[in-house]
Amino acid sequence: MAEQKYIMGNYAITRGAVEAGVRVVAGYPGTPATEILEGFTEYPHVHAQWSNNEKVALEVATGASLANVRSMAVMKHNGANVCTDMLMHLNFTGVSGGMVLVSADDPGGLSSQNEEDSRILVHTYANLPVFDPSNALEAKQMVKEAYELSEKTQMCFVLRPVMRVCHSRSDIPFEDCLEPEAAARWEDDRERYIMSAVEVRQMGGIKRPQARHRWLNQKYREIVDIFEESPFNHIEPGDGNTGLIGCGMGYTYVKEAARDFDRTYPVMKLNTLPVPERKVLSFIQGKMRVIVFEEIEPVVENLIKQLCNDHHLQVEVLGRSGFYASDGELTAQVVSDTVRRADPELRLRNEVPDIPLGIDVPVRTRTQCVGCAHRAMLYSVKRVARKYKGIVFGDIGCHDAGSFKPLELQSTIYCMGSSIPMATGAHFAGEKRPVFSIIGDSTFFHMGVNGLINAAYQNARQVIVLADNGTTAMTGFQPHVGSGVNLQGQPARKVDIKGLGESLGVHVHTVDPYDLESTRETLGKAVEEDGVSLVVVSAPCLLTASRKGEQPFEKRRVEVDGEKCTGCMVCVNEFGCPALVFDAGGEKVHVDELSCVQCGLCAQVCLQGAIS
Amino acid sequence: MKKDIAIVGVGGQGTLFAANVLCQYAMARGHQVLGTETIGAAQRGGSVISHMRISDQPIYSPLIPKHRADVLLGLEALELLRNVKVLNPGGFYILNRFCVPTVYSNLGIDRYPSMEEIVTALKRVVKKGYEIPATQKAAELGNAQMTNVVMLGALTKIDDFFEYSDIRKLVEEMSPPKFLKNNMACFEAGYSLL
Repeated sequence: MAEQKYIMGNYAITRGAVEAGVRVVAGYPGTPATEILEGFTEYPHVHAQWSNNEKVALEVATGASLANVRSMAVMKHNGANVCTDMLMHLNFTGVSGGMVLVSADDPGGLSSQNEEDSRILVHTYANLPVFDPSNALEAKQMVKEAYELSEKTQMCFVLRPVMRVCHSRSDIPFEDCLEPEAAARWEDDRERYIMSAVEVRQMGGIKRPQARHRWLNQKYREIVDIFEESPFNHIEPGDGNTGLIGCGMGYTYVKEAARDFDRTYPVMKLNTLPVPERKVLSFIQGKMRVIVFEEIEPVVENLIKQLCNDHHLQVEVLGRSGFYASDGELTAQVVSDTVRRADPELRLRNEVPDIPLGIDVPVRTRTQCVGCAHRAMLYSVKRVARKYKGIVFGDIGCHDAGSFKPLELQSTIYCMGSSIPMATGAHFAGEKRPVFSIIGDSTFFHMGVNGLINAAYQNARQVIVLADNGTTAMTGFQPHVGSGVNLQGQPARKVDIKGLGESLGVHVHTVDPYDLESTRETLGKAVEEDGVSLVVVSAPCLLTASRKGEQPFEKRRVEVDGEKCTGCMVCVNEFGCPALVFDAGGEKVHVDELSCVQCGLCAQVCLQGAIS
Repeated sequence: MKKDIAIVGVGGQGTLFAANVLCQYAMARGHQVLGTETIGAAQRGGSVISHMRISDQPIYSPLIPKHRADVLLGLEALELLRNVKVLNPGGFYILNRFCVPTVYSNLGIDRYPSMEEIVTALKRVVKKGYEIPATQKAAELGNAQMTNVVMLGALTKIDDFFEYSDIRKLVEEMSPPKFLKNNMACFEAGYSLL
């Protein structure tokens, strides 16, 4: 019997790829997908890399596949957006060695800037086949199946695990690994791999894009047939004329909710895209209604509506398009409530009435860690931006919490690398106020560097604050091209940010954020400079440093002098370290000894000299 | 047999370690275990919850459905209150008498309820609950970070499903060497608090 291990869903995906003999894996960190790539460090025979963005990662994986080895690209949904351009060519060319793209979705946006359904991009738009797993074990099985089918059909397959699959923990069987065949074997195939507007002789001179589009449409139909027999779609009998269709985690919640139903319903598990049309028709025919449970968007619901229309079926198809919530994460509760609304006869066993708490439960928003260099940087930028009435454009990373209360510094947070170009646009709009952008190092190398090159070329006057903590902190400390190490922790070439800035002819400054005064002075100088100023704020992420037993600052025990503290709240309202607690009764601030890390920043912040 | 356990707190309080200990325990006893947790952005001082589902029947959802949890460990008072609806009426909670103010309460925009108000609200919803000063005890014994281990010790006192000696042994095996001695002291202290 195969050995079982209790592991995270992401590692089950890793294991599935290893068992399938994957050779090259590339990705960029993004919750909830990050650990999939990290998992490959356990298997040194696989080349695994953190690429500097998802488009690069997808291209690396495609190159490997065309060299006829099995490959994988790993990212979250936002990342899949980044690689759309490559995706819309890869779908037309097809692949050679089996290739799987993993795009993890985050229903509810628990760790994301948006709530988005990857299936629309990869299936509806790119016409690629998608597996939507109901749990971690199935995700692993799907990865293995995807490699087989990818080589059989020449299509890149997509796995779309949602956060509850990625971050579930369960027992997973470890089976034997397929011995990868001989090393890479490149074979030219210009009819496929040259995507250009060239005439195809054998097809009466139509252009290559049209010819490949025709191929893609044929493949799509072929895959519809393959999925009629897929082990990931099945029908479970039940009573009545209401059918429940569960897709991915939707199926899981249907099964969970059904434990409490006083009756059974026919259930269809539908975990592939395209949907197996004959199988779906056999399920819905004769039913009064079906309810589709799927994460995020009504993708399958709309396909079934289309099928009903094509086959003149009078079946009510209910789902995310309005019958139940069109946003947010599914739960067993959503399923129960929805089925009960459709079928008022349904009774739930073990129903527990909700008793009101009778008290408001305040929200808890995240903030920077106690002692984090970003808080110091944000505080300094805020002082300078306020003095010059600047507008601050934000970017993705831990520092984005500077846009929430109490600092409310950044005026925008969009997508990776958007800060510098947006500041450039505001500048050329004629905005008289100085423009700033704040971007982390990993984000800068991901996409921000394009914005910098453009800003330099356009001579768009602005101050760019590059928060350089040496890691991709928000997703759990992954190294990047500026870290000096690779995924495996081996030394790697490191981008010289200062040299890069100088080569572009922009003003470059380097400061230590823990020195508030000199940071402020440097930022003040940068605002006065003509053209683009790049202020590199350098200090290691406190969490990574402390794990190595290092301190980015000199430890300093602080106390609040109750006599001197006037309760002015500057340290709470303007700096906002969670270790500084305002005693509403005493109207003074005190230091919470249990959470203080003795960075001493608050002593520099206090205007009354009360903290020392 | 089924046991649904939720552990809640604020990012950085070690809910994950406590959850791992209980998972290993349940698996060693031959039960099926399925869990999930919030990680990622929630790590930075946000609300965190670990779900752990132990059963001899197939388990589907890694999320414990509302009103189905048997045990709720609250490493922080407000987070316990926020999540108390996960408990079934026969379940119980263990409250660590410890508050982490929120950004909004610190600014005076929200009011962080008093411990008495929190306990009153909890009692309104669930009959059975226990309160211990786990963080205070952990700090006395060397490090507030060991709150989670104090809570585990207390759990073994209340619920017979969790055998004191077996869980103690797992804490011992799973503790990093430099925390081992203090963790064991915290575990025993937790057991003695109730």
